[in-house]
Amino acid sequence: MTVFSAGGNLFARSSSARSPFAGWEKSFEETLARLAFLVLLVAGFAGLLLALVMVAREAYPALVAPSGLWGLLVADPWEPLSQPARLGVRHAWLSTLAVTSIALAVAAPLGFGIGIFITEIAPSAIKKMLQPCLELLAGIPSVVYGFFGYVTLVPWFESTFEMATGESLLAAGLILAVMVLPFVASTSAEALSAVPFDVKEAALALGVNRCCMTLRVLVRHAAPGMFAALALGLARALGETLAVLMLAGNSLAVPASLLDRGQPITALIITELGEAGIGSPKQQALFAAALVLMVVIVSVNSVIGWLKRRMLHGRG
Amino acid sequence: MAAANSLLRTERTRLWQDGIFTAVGWSAGLLGFLLPISIVMFLFYRGAAAITWDLLWQSPRGFPLGSSGGIRPAIEGSLALVVIGLAVSLPLAVGGAIYLTEYSASDRLRRTASFCAECLAGVPAIIYGLFGYSFLVVFWGMRTSLLAGGITLGLVMLPIILIGAYEALRAVDTKYREAALALGVSRLYAFRKNVWSKGRAGIMTAVVLAAGHAFGSAAPVLLTATVVIARSGLDLSSPVMTLPSHLYYLVSEASPLDQAYATALILVALLLTANFSVMLITSRQEGRSIR
Repeated sequence: MTVFSAGGNLFARSSSARSPFAGWEKSFEETLARLAFLVLLVAGFAGLLLALVMVAREAYPALVAPSGLWGLLVADPWEPLSQPARLGVRHAWLSTLAVTSIALAVAAPLGFGIGIFITEIAPSAIKKMLQPCLELLAGIPSVVYGFFGYVTLVPWFESTFEMATGESLLAAGLILAVMVLPFVASTSAEALSAVPFDVKEAALALGVNRCCMTLRVLVRHAAPGMFAALALGLARALGETLAVLMLAGNSLAVPASLLDRGQPITALIITELGEAGIGSPKQQALFAAALVLMVVIVSVNSVIGWLKRRMLHGRG
Repeated sequence: MAAANSLLRTERTRLWQDGIFTAVGWSAGLLGFLLPISIVMFLFYRGAAAITWDLLWQSPRGFPLGSSGGIRPAIEGSLALVVIGLAVSLPLAVGGAIYLTEYSASDRLRRTASFCAECLAGVPAIIYGLFGYSFLVVFWGMRTSLLAGGITLGLVMLPIILIGAYEALRAVDTKYREAALALGVSRLYAFRKNVWSKGRAGIMTAVVLAAGHAFGSAAPVLLTATVVIARSGLDLSSPVMTLPSHLYYLVSEASPLDQAYATALILVALLLTANFSVMLITSRQEGRSIR
């Protein structure tokens, strides 16, 4: 309102008009606000970077140790109590690889199917209902998924496969698939709906049916975006902690089959960190494993960012 | 004749194809419905009976611990952690987003910052938990405490809120800024009176989303803030219980599952309520601002 009263009578306005928006107060306030917001931005990023740097610093001794990265990832077993301690996380990243592959193998077809359903098949009323359902699926916390798997999948595995315990890589992978499903589904739906309409029209004008148009034209056009959806699912699955901790069985053996128990990297960290002495080689090895995991996830995320940008700016 | 026959055949295969395509699509969509609804219904069916006044109002008791009594300290602890986390992350994230959308003239800075924020939001919470453990808990001597856990959760939320607020403010039409600036008011004034009221709803959605994520995440708080049982009340320098970690401990202690079902149900119900109410509020506000 003051804005209008300040400019309301143009003729009465002199150079010394007492509006709060002119003169040195304005420029002072402006500079101060600009500076304050900049400080907040920088402080936020500095805090986050500090976190990553600290993790790297804790991990550093394990990486430059004689056994090094090779020992950590490939050569050594996890035997922190032997003399000297052997601290390799081979079993852990193999378990992570197993549960992640299961999760993606299950979630990819389902997620793409839901994406295609949302963009091409569903009536708009159903589309509107499906969106919150997927958000709900994405909003359920990891520990609840772990609990859910523990009371449904685990007993079911025990009775069906006659296993001593149903906790296994397969159980963890299947629950993980449910967890990444909404991310794969909504990102691929986004990618599919970003395909320009004239591409669709051109295909339909050739007389092909909807199936052919979707699978051979739409999907090909949206391929980078759908790949990004898969990569997002991968990044999510790699970092997931509680569900795999509760379902994979926490076994130190190198898994030989999908029905074996295992211990993904995140589960290893949570399980062992409390018992690792501060500054001990064991703690350093755990941080190094976490650092490797983080580097992988950040690279996957950068690929996603690059693909997204290509998706947005690639055409037009 | 032969040509007509083959045409007929292709026509039939095409219909078949389309039928199968539609059927597969609908079943995928149906799965998208049934999965979340059946999970929630399952938790409700098993957990609703165990939710009593005592459960919400008392501390855990019994052996193994938590097999009787209530989960009140866990609810309080979770809420307190998220509040501290928000106190840390909200000013940094929203302030940073305001700088990027309202003040920064450099497109490159904006792109780099949002790219970095997206990468950081993708870093799993357990990494921030490790930072909280090695830096806050050990190095700064905070020990396992509410404060260390709160700061850690703040870091988890920070990039999520930053991205959400940035997107929300960027979605505000430039014409509102231009109109205000053309009247000669400062950027701050233009922001406060114009842009803020348009972008508020989006920012709030992002905040609730991030807070819900933090509320339900157990990995960072397991490393920095929680114990199996907290006997004292809430105190910045003492450890707390949280709903997710309590659920985890209940399962790993193999105690009777009634309490675990109830805890899981309460956790999910609180998150759903928060998400649903923010959805209602924002959809109402959006409806108003369009007119």
